[in-house]
Amino acid sequence: MSFTQIARSCSRLAATLAPRRIASGALVQSQASRMMHRIAVPSMTSQLSQKFAVRSYSAKSTIEDIKFRVLKVVSAYDKECSGRWQTQSVRRYSAKPPLSLKLINERVLLVLKLYDKIDPSKLNVESHFINDLGLDSLDHVEVIMAMEDEFGFEIPDSDAEKLLKPADIIKYVADKEDVYE
Amino acid sequence: MSTRRQAITLYRNLLRESEKLPSYNFRMYAARKIRDTFRANSGIRDFGEIDRQMVAGQQNLELIRRQVIIGHLYSADKLVIENKKTLKPSDD
Repeated sequence: MSFTQIARSCSRLAATLAPRRIASGALVQSQASRMMHRIAVPSMTSQLSQKFAVRSYSAKSTIEDIKFRVLKVVSAYDKECSGRWQTQSVRRYSAKPPLSLKLINERVLLVLKLYDKIDPSKLNVESHFINDLGLDSLDHVEVIMAMEDEFGFEIPDSDAEKLLKPADIIKYVADKEDVYE
Repeated sequence: MSTRRQAITLYRNLLRESEKLPSYNFRMYAARKIRDTFRANSGIRDFGEIDRQMVAGQQNLELIRRQVIIGHLYSADKLVIENKKTLKPSDD
């Protein structure tokens, strides 16, 4: 048994003895005695181990030991990560405000008015985004994304490319939200 | 799927993903860079060049996805300008 091994075993023993306050006494006692054993026995049997190549520096741990160690790590991880990004979802207990066609109309037009590339004076429910308002396809994508944010659902690409007028968007949102009057 | 639709999908995915960056500076830079680059490259007609740019865009999308995760692991406090606290009339 080399000096490094003895030193390593000693430091493990010290580490086991340190958290005596939190762990139950018996457990630490048994672990400590086993550690002592690990330091003492190999040095005595070093003659033997040269002949038979006995590996004694990985003590077999019982199921209890493993369970204790795993649970300790898991609980530390939970404590570390609680309130972080894994639990970012917000739960709202109130219902959504009721939508009507008029309300959808107003909200769609407001979002469009606030978009800097659209001239509010030209904006009309029936004005075509690309032909009348002078947007290109990239601006159109951004308009659709703004609508997704406003109404809180995803619009797939295949539907998005058909929504070329504010009226189309209003109709689409009304269909999605089951609004008929 | 046509190149046009691929490009639009990529644009959308990039913008959506860049919104998730936790750091204000990275988020704003990414959004600005994506918009400017797509607009600057919208005139390209050469198919080989389009393919190269699309590959670069895909790589950047992966990069942003990774960076979102890393940013969340090492998150910092929000900047002052990000706090959306509205001033009350009494505050002045």
